[in-house]
Amino acid sequence: MADFGISVGQFVAVIWDKSCPAEALKDLVDKLQALTGDEGHVSMENINQLLQSAHKESSFDIVLSGVIPGSSIVHSAEILAEVARILRPGGCLFLKEPVETAVVNNSKVRTASKLCSALTLSGLVEVKELQRESLSPEEMQSVQEHLGYHSDSLLSVQITGKKPNFEVGSSSQLKLSIAKKSSPSGKPAVDPAAAKLWTLSANDMEDDSVELIDSDDLLDPEDLKKPDPASLRAASCGEGKKRTACRNCTCGLAEELEKEKSRGQMSSQPKSACGNCYLGDAFRCASCPYLGMPAFKPGEKVLLSDSNLNDA
Amino acid sequence: MPTPRLLVLFGSQTGTAQDVSERLGREARRRRLGCLVQALDSYPVVNLINEPLVIFVCATTGQGDPPDNMKNFWRFIFRKNLPSTSLCQMDFAVLGLGDSSYAKFNFVAKKLHRRLLQLGGSALLPMCLGDDQHELGPDAAIDPWLHDLWKKVLDLHPVPLDLGIIPTGIPLPSKFTLQFLEEAPVTHSEEQHVARMDPQDPPSELHPFLAPMVSNQRVTGPLHFQDVRLIEFDITGSGLSFTAGDVVLIQPKNIAPHVQQFCQLLGLDPDQCFTLQPREPGVPCPVQLPQPCSVRRLVSQYLDITSVPRRSFFELLACLSPHKLEREKLLEFSSAQGQEELCEYCSRPRRTVLEVLCDFPHTAGAIPPDYLLDLVPLIRPRAFSIASSLLAHPSRLQILVAVVQYQTRLKEPRRGLCSSWLASLDPGQGPVRVPLWVRPGSLTFPETPDTPVIMVGPGTGVAPFRATVQERVAQGQTRNFLFFGCRQRDQDFYWEPEWKELEKRGCLTLVTAFSREQEQKVYVQHRLRELGPLVWELLDHQGAYFYLAGNAKYMPVDVSEALMSIFQEEGGLSSPDAAAYLARLQRTLRFQTETWA
Repeated sequence: MADFGISVGQFVAVIWDKSCPAEALKDLVDKLQALTGDEGHVSMENINQLLQSAHKESSFDIVLSGVIPGSSIVHSAEILAEVARILRPGGCLFLKEPVETAVVNNSKVRTASKLCSALTLSGLVEVKELQRESLSPEEMQSVQEHLGYHSDSLLSVQITGKKPNFEVGSSSQLKLSIAKKSSPSGKPAVDPAAAKLWTLSANDMEDDSVELIDSDDLLDPEDLKKPDPASLRAASCGEGKKRTACRNCTCGLAEELEKEKSRGQMSSQPKSACGNCYLGDAFRCASCPYLGMPAFKPGEKVLLSDSNLNDA
Repeated sequence: MPTPRLLVLFGSQTGTAQDVSERLGREARRRRLGCLVQALDSYPVVNLINEPLVIFVCATTGQGDPPDNMKNFWRFIFRKNLPSTSLCQMDFAVLGLGDSSYAKFNFVAKKLHRRLLQLGGSALLPMCLGDDQHELGPDAAIDPWLHDLWKKVLDLHPVPLDLGIIPTGIPLPSKFTLQFLEEAPVTHSEEQHVARMDPQDPPSELHPFLAPMVSNQRVTGPLHFQDVRLIEFDITGSGLSFTAGDVVLIQPKNIAPHVQQFCQLLGLDPDQCFTLQPREPGVPCPVQLPQPCSVRRLVSQYLDITSVPRRSFFELLACLSPHKLEREKLLEFSSAQGQEELCEYCSRPRRTVLEVLCDFPHTAGAIPPDYLLDLVPLIRPRAFSIASSLLAHPSRLQILVAVVQYQTRLKEPRRGLCSSWLASLDPGQGPVRVPLWVRPGSLTFPETPDTPVIMVGPGTGVAPFRATVQERVAQGQTRNFLFFGCRQRDQDFYWEPEWKELEKRGCLTLVTAFSREQEQKVYVQHRLRELGPLVWELLDHQGAYFYLAGNAKYMPVDVSEALMSIFQEEGGLSSPDAAAYLARLQRTLRFQTETWA
């Protein structure tokens, strides 16, 4: 078994699919568990379940995929991106994949260099080819069976990649950006591959055939809860409108307020300077008989127009 | 050192989100930050990956849907192929506007916030959920959130020490300048509109079609509480084309007495003409405004002086006021502590811009014309479902309009701008032309012939279905089932003779619910349940499509509940299975709604 540099206390993920012989898989996992000991952990992940498992990001030190002799896994861009996400900064991926050496146009098996650039595009650095070897007859058969592909120019290549030592942009709901005193803000540069994909998509706004994620999936049961009705009332509700008197108040409010003030109950003077009732609702007191009517000139007789008389 | 820039992108249906965004823009400028405020669909989204600081202000409308001016962005941002590190440069914040009496409260803001995180953005602070149901409206949530936002933003971009923050009493420069012309230009008719770039283009908001009104008939009984009109337009030569479910947009005007009153208050000469110039380069003028323009035209067609002013109106007015008493009051109405007073004075009684200016005459008289477009929002077009089909009425367009009129504690009744204006137009008195254009509706109809269609449209909700039935009958599709509800058959039973005729011809099955003709209320959902077996048969065995149109608040929920109980009783489904069945119908577009507030 190749040396993956596994030590005590590490968290390792082994990715497998139906092309991996069960015996060999169990064998590998047992050996890995002996190396990580009790403080570490070895997880097995079926490649088809990896995305749904939605592991917490940066939770594994090492990820192994396709390394079991006899397996023939082809790693998609989504899988590689997911592996990059769940690796902790500085963590390593070791993967083994059948590659094509001849220049053939096919969608099933890619060349070693395409595979290396796929790892780079997913955000891994220090991508290195460790070794290549030819496929055993069993492995050739496995490729035929599981990938539906046959060729005489296949090789099996082992590649490693590392997650860079800084966080490339978190998708955790709990993280908030840290205030930075210096400018620029210290954010990572936009990955040129990501920028290209975004630009391509943005320049094609009219395309209705592009697949969309279901936005309802983004919500959780918390989002459906209604706010507590008590929280919807204004802070001082129930006290009613501020009671202020007009300067030339004729309705008796001024005397009442004076009495209350002298009794020491009413603490504050009317805050806003209030003019006479002719000034308009903005300046009228709560008991003003002209409330609801427009402003008028002082001394002017207020005539109700026809439209005022016809109440709906 | 270049000024740091804040980008505020909004999706606004009724103008509230836009108003909040402009407030953000002003507060940014007071803190010496550069700021660009733009509707999401007007912003080139390709640049988003390079933006360092973005605030998204998004309303939720309809049934948990994004506003019209962010629909394209919404389709883009959920594309599966967008890389998860795209927005790694971005610090963002999301401010949502919604109404918690709806089940999908602020769904747009919630989904956007999560998606931006998925795409690698960093949230400056948790999202703000503005709520119309709060006594003080969305501001109750927005004010404290803005306080926190500015703390975070100023950490990143502190105000330069030599400049300091511009205090709130001092007005910021106006967005535009109005250059008055000495002489009136060569007289042009009031009907002149900006020449179309290409006569082949169909009418749009920039170039509406001035449709002659053919008829304007009241269709509710004379004793009925509500005035509802059936209005017909002649669209010959307009290039307008539409199918059932499409919507017509109408640009209303202010009535002459209001225009006159406004000009008098501000000391403006209605006949004077001006040109409009933006102060900052790159800020677009309102495209619909002709240049040069007369004051009368500006006030009657563009300034929404009968709208209810928001807090930002009082803030600006306070800055411009030369009068001690009025200024004090205006400052009070702008302050956080004065919001309850403002609610009591303005929002609750639905007091208009014009009425407020009457209460503050000294300030009104001192408003510099340059600030008119900062102060008063632009009149928004109103949408109506088209109630006729071109196959039944070629070259014609009909709509059903309920005239909005109600009383608050103000003596003068509150009136809907567009519905009152339309009701006041009488083609019998002389030619009348109304600016309008068409936009596709959200309803799609089955392509396979002989698919039965069930339509539930109480009240004016029946309008799009009248178009649908006309169109389907003209195409030989006779399997039409209409559930119509109103108050009394002799008061508001719209199109009764037409339905009866279609029934006789075997093209329609009509089920009515007259809510006030008996002791207990009978609504369309009761009729649905009564005909449960038929509804189940049509939906489950005959692939029927189900449509619902009308008031957004309660009717959709009531009808959905009725459907689910039918699924349980007739289909033997459990309660969760019934809900899943309805969800499946929605996903496959066999259950569709077109609702309005």
